[in-house]
Amino acid sequence: MKNKELDQISNMLKEQGYISEDHIAMSLFLAMELHMPLLVEGPAGVGKTEIGKVMAKALGRELIRLQCYEGLDSTHALYEWNYQYQLLYLQMQGSGNKDIKELEETIFSDKFLLKRPVLRAITQKDNAVLLIDEIDRADEEFESFLLEVLSDWQVTIPEIGTIRATSKPQVILTGNRTRDLSESLRRRCIYLWIDYPEFEKELAIVRTKVPGIDRQLGKEICLFMAALRRMKLEKIPGISETIDWARALAAMHMSHLDKKIVEDTLGVVLKDWQDIRHVRDTLSELLEKTGVISKIG
Amino acid sequence: MAKLPVTYQTTISGNVVLLCRFLRKRGFSLGAGEEAKALEALSWLPLTNEALFIYGLRTMLAKNRHQFKKFDEFYREFLEERSKAANSKKKEDTRESGGREMEARNRQDEFERLKNWLNLHQSGDAETIPSYSGQEVLTKKKFSDLDPDEMKLMMRLLSQLAHQITHRKSRLRKTSMNSRKLDLRRTIGSNLRKGTRIREFVFSEPKEKKLKIVLLADVSRSMELYSRFFIYLVYAFQNAHDRIETFVFSTALHQVSDILDNHDFDHAFRIISDKVPHWSGGTKIGSCFQEFVREFGYGLLDKKTIVFILSDGWDTGDPLAISGAMKSIHRQSRRVIWLNPLAGSPGFSPEAIGLKAALPHVDILAAAHNLESLKEAMLRIR
Repeated sequence: MKNKELDQISNMLKEQGYISEDHIAMSLFLAMELHMPLLVEGPAGVGKTEIGKVMAKALGRELIRLQCYEGLDSTHALYEWNYQYQLLYLQMQGSGNKDIKELEETIFSDKFLLKRPVLRAITQKDNAVLLIDEIDRADEEFESFLLEVLSDWQVTIPEIGTIRATSKPQVILTGNRTRDLSESLRRRCIYLWIDYPEFEKELAIVRTKVPGIDRQLGKEICLFMAALRRMKLEKIPGISETIDWARALAAMHMSHLDKKIVEDTLGVVLKDWQDIRHVRDTLSELLEKTGVISKIG
Repeated sequence: MAKLPVTYQTTISGNVVLLCRFLRKRGFSLGAGEEAKALEALSWLPLTNEALFIYGLRTMLAKNRHQFKKFDEFYREFLEERSKAANSKKKEDTRESGGREMEARNRQDEFERLKNWLNLHQSGDAETIPSYSGQEVLTKKKFSDLDPDEMKLMMRLLSQLAHQITHRKSRLRKTSMNSRKLDLRRTIGSNLRKGTRIREFVFSEPKEKKLKIVLLADVSRSMELYSRFFIYLVYAFQNAHDRIETFVFSTALHQVSDILDNHDFDHAFRIISDKVPHWSGGTKIGSCFQEFVREFGYGLLDKKTIVFILSDGWDTGDPLAISGAMKSIHRQSRRVIWLNPLAGSPGFSPEAIGLKAALPHVDILAAAHNLESLKEAMLRIR
């Protein structure tokens, strides 16, 4: 019975301003207890990356973030030699006839090694939190490379040799499903799917993130967002958009939504011009649905 | 379900193993490793709170969104089955035989449908197949008789296509005299070998990633209208790219790369027609693909290979064989692209049994009934 620890995690997240759900806390809890990587998937803007950040903060550990992109390779993820320094060093040595072997040992030593996120994470003294963001954007080759690191916890650098992990970082991978991840990577991870939040959860998030917000306004914003997400949009807005919008409206000291203000600030929520046009055309109907229309009359 | 069906720790472990077995049947890919991890997780799960218990199992055992969302449902199903099994073994037996009967009936139905289809279509000519009407017939002449100019155009188009899809810039770099991008790593490496002085700079450019192509072309009766056109296509492909292997199939599979490589088109076409005894016969896509996987898969397919299948997907074999073979082709290759001449017609939906079975394992389904559609397909494949 480890209910206590589970509660602790929930509280920890809450203290950091992250409104979680039981199943999210459970996944985090198991990932930590079993020392397994956690793969978080879900639509854009539901707080996947945030999980890694909050976790590092709550545990008081260093967050090492690796943002993935197409073409990411080991020189960006693992290590690279500091060529400029090496060149400089070589030039300074000049013609002083030094032993080449000795020289090689010098310029391929720790001093000239640039540690990139993955190497940094495993050579850290304390267990760090390694956040590998948007893994599905990286190429398959990188995925298999990562697999090797994650299973053996060691890295081989030709000039130096094998570097073993001094500590196993807590790994969190996030993905948007732009590409299907390989089965073998999935099998090594604990899986968590985060969806758009329910109304109550979103409201709680808004109230935590924008403490000064008018109660009624917060409610209306969340109702409107929920209705918006039910529409067929190119880019469905996430929680981050809700928070941005709530912040903007709170800064304008609004106490409720009306048609004009929604129209004027729609760009905060929707990032696709066709979506904006589409929503603008059906705005009255949408506001009516969320019960906001009475304010206009 | 207010409480868990079992009370002892050991029984819970046993049940989790059974659950894994149950989930495997539902398409979860759970190896011994995942099972062990799930059992390990058990000791951390709160046994008094069922919701949390299920969350824990779900996060351990589900590996993608579909499984994650369906997990609850599967879990309930599993519990039901368990309690049923416990209640009376007899009951389950009858249920199972009932299931078997159902299955048999389904098979019979499928067979009947297939038979009907065969009777319907074999009595008439190929042209009476509904999807062949309209624009397909209009362009028929064009397919069977490409004039030299069109042939040249197609050759050019295809060599473009082959080049485009098989030449990608790789992340790896190679030394280059023409590039202006200084490669410090190589500069230091090469200069250090000769002394401590930097005497020369080394430049580099991205290496090209070359992909291979495997073509599987259907030459059965239902493809008769197109097969000459397709052989053109295959021929052009074969000559546009040097890392390509071509097979034709109807009831059996034949490797024809050598023939296409070494002869002019008409000659090659004749040889292939002679060599393939069932030219324009019925189709056994499934068994042909299985043969392909068995005989050539290991050597030809890898993550640098794009597989093109040229077929309408009408099949007289077992659809299960197709989906099985397609699954392994898809798994072993980089991409599977199905070019279907029928996909060009306006009301097209993938109805052919073979195509339907294969569809889950196809990355791109594109039309290929004339040059125009081919060009379009090219754009999508990029």
